[in-house]
Amino acid sequence: MDLEVLWRYAPSLLSGFGVTVMCWSAGGALGLVLGFVIALLYRLRLAPLRWLLRVFIEVFRGTPFLVQLFLLYAGGPYIGLKLSATTAGVLGLGLYSSAYFAEIFRGGFAAVPVGQIEAAMSVGMKPFDVLWRVTLPSALIAAVPPIVNMLIVLSKETVVLSIITVPELMYQMQTMAAETFTAFDAIFAMAAFYWLLVEGVSRLGARLEARVTAFMAEEARPA
Amino acid sequence: MIEIRALHKRFGAHEVLSGVDLTVGHSEVVCLIGPSGSGKSTLLRCVNFLESYDAGDVRIAGKLIGYEDASDGTRRPMGARNLREMRREIGMVFQHFNLWPHMSALHNVAEPLRRVRGLPAAEAEERARAMLKRVGLSDKAAAYPSHLSGGQQQRVAIARALAMQPRLMLFDEPTSALDPELVGEVLEVMKSLAAEGMTMLIVTHEMGFAAHVADRIAFIDAGRIVEQGPPRHVFHESAEPRVRQFLQTYHDRNSF
Amino acid sequence: MHPQVILHSFGYLTQAAGTTLAISLAGIALGFVIGAAVCIARLSREAWLARLGGVYVSVFRGVPLLVLLLFIYYFLAKFGVDVPALAAAIGGLALSSGAYQAEILRGALAATPPGQAEAAVALGFSGVEVWRRILLPQALRISIPPLINEFILLLKASSLVSVVGIAELTRVSMNIASLTYRPLEAYVGGALFYLAINLCLAALGALTERRLAGERG
Repeated sequence: MDLEVLWRYAPSLLSGFGVTVMCWSAGGALGLVLGFVIALLYRLRLAPLRWLLRVFIEVFRGTPFLVQLFLLYAGGPYIGLKLSATTAGVLGLGLYSSAYFAEIFRGGFAAVPVGQIEAAMSVGMKPFDVLWRVTLPSALIAAVPPIVNMLIVLSKETVVLSIITVPELMYQMQTMAAETFTAFDAIFAMAAFYWLLVEGVSRLGARLEARVTAFMAEEARPA
Repeated sequence: MIEIRALHKRFGAHEVLSGVDLTVGHSEVVCLIGPSGSGKSTLLRCVNFLESYDAGDVRIAGKLIGYEDASDGTRRPMGARNLREMRREIGMVFQHFNLWPHMSALHNVAEPLRRVRGLPAAEAEERARAMLKRVGLSDKAAAYPSHLSGGQQQRVAIARALAMQPRLMLFDEPTSALDPELVGEVLEVMKSLAAEGMTMLIVTHEMGFAAHVADRIAFIDAGRIVEQGPPRHVFHESAEPRVRQFLQTYHDRNSF
Repeated sequence: MHPQVILHSFGYLTQAAGTTLAISLAGIALGFVIGAAVCIARLSREAWLARLGGVYVSVFRGVPLLVLLLFIYYFLAKFGVDVPALAAAIGGLALSSGAYQAEILRGALAATPPGQAEAAVALGFSGVEVWRRILLPQALRISIPPLINEFILLLKASSLVSVVGIAELTRVSMNIASLTYRPLEAYVGGALFYLAINLCLAALGALTERRLAGERG
């Protein structure tokens, strides 16, 4: 790898990295919020609403992310949605991940032991208090490991954004590679970079998970 | 205090309670014993309407729980608010403690006081501390359930139910999930509650406890109360074959 | 909205769906071989081999598939090997899937109750026989549901091989979009095909899980 080339392109690569991080966090945040809302709405037990939500989840989990991006970016204008590549990218990441987060939150709610809810009911707690003080804390803590996992998956999906010309890291790398005929080196560097990034974030995530789940250990240890 | 009359309940096609009559008077301690599947837990859970029932009456201090009888003779489900109000007066202790894992022992006890009784935080905390002292766990106030032994968790659960100052307390196999050495500390607390005059309805397998603390034992089998009476009568004088059979297996296993 | 676009290109989309399925099947099959090998390496008593297996899993789960695909493409080009895009595509899918399958198999082996192997040894089974008759069949059984899930994921990931020009479902949708100037209909068409395939696979997965759960009692 020619260091001179790297130096020359450093600004654009850094900017690309910035775009990657921005898309990932914005998309992730959107997905978390939307997914949580969907999971809450699902609890309302309204059959037509549940059907609609189910369709949403199945569509966004059952089709490739790339196709969803194309639909948003290329197909969007035909339904009045003229989006820039980056906006389409963030929106795409948000919608795609929201379907997975919705299922994760649903699983979190289901994992709250019935007994804890019964205990709250048996002292006469109002439904809102049961949700807010008993169900939600437990559900959210249970959801942390799969959420961390999904966020890592999402960070890898950001490279797909380069295909619709979002100027994130992969795109900048490919531009550099094309202009300087250093395709192989560039791709190799990308692979190494992503590997390190994902490995690093995974380890951080594992530590966070361990902290959180130790706090909630169900089994009582003998005094 | 508790009046159960002609209670029927079915789960699908299976009739779990087939006409149960039981009363628990003020300050009485009644123990429900019987084989598994006999319906004793279901019966207990009908008292605070964690389980609905299909026919009969369950009355707490004279008031019907779970349903409202209209003047025209029809029966409607009780409003959620009324049900909650009635539940405030009934304390329940579960087999698996059901402490809230994300709250300390103190907060577990204080939470219902704050949310249900509407007490300000400081007062709720004070009362919670007093309750923890009552069950012998003042030093564990800041501990989280995952750091407490089973016996300690159950005592916190008792404190949580007690703090609400209920008129009666229900116990659903309170010691069945505990290691044998930890059973004693929970039974001690329950004994002291009984001595103070708490009205208690207890589903239990602890025959020794039942024999010494209960005012009355009710033996339930296949959804009916087959034998009732003072401990001495049920344990030693009963002529009912199912009762004798049940107690026999206990003698066999527990005499060494 | 011009739904007739979808109808007119139905034939092309079906053909492309077949290509997607074929590529995915090849990818998962090859990935299984790789995954099994890596899993065995990880469980090996030779420290270096175990390490190598661990690194493989880490690398091929950490590198995004798109990067991997392009890497293989350019890697081969750099060394003057003229390998068809198809091989690069299936290779990339297999290498990536192999890492995930290695973990699935490892988890399945860990999930088999150790007591069963102990009982077999106590009865006099040889080491190899314990493997062949007790551990392996059970591990394979346990791993079927997550493997079906992995296939679903692989199928969706195969959309990325469109960038190396393979005429699978996504690429054909792109072609239809540019030919008819109706991207919405084109991609909805492609999406519908993916959905159909995935719903069938999901149903298969649920069925298998039920049957297996029933057998284990």
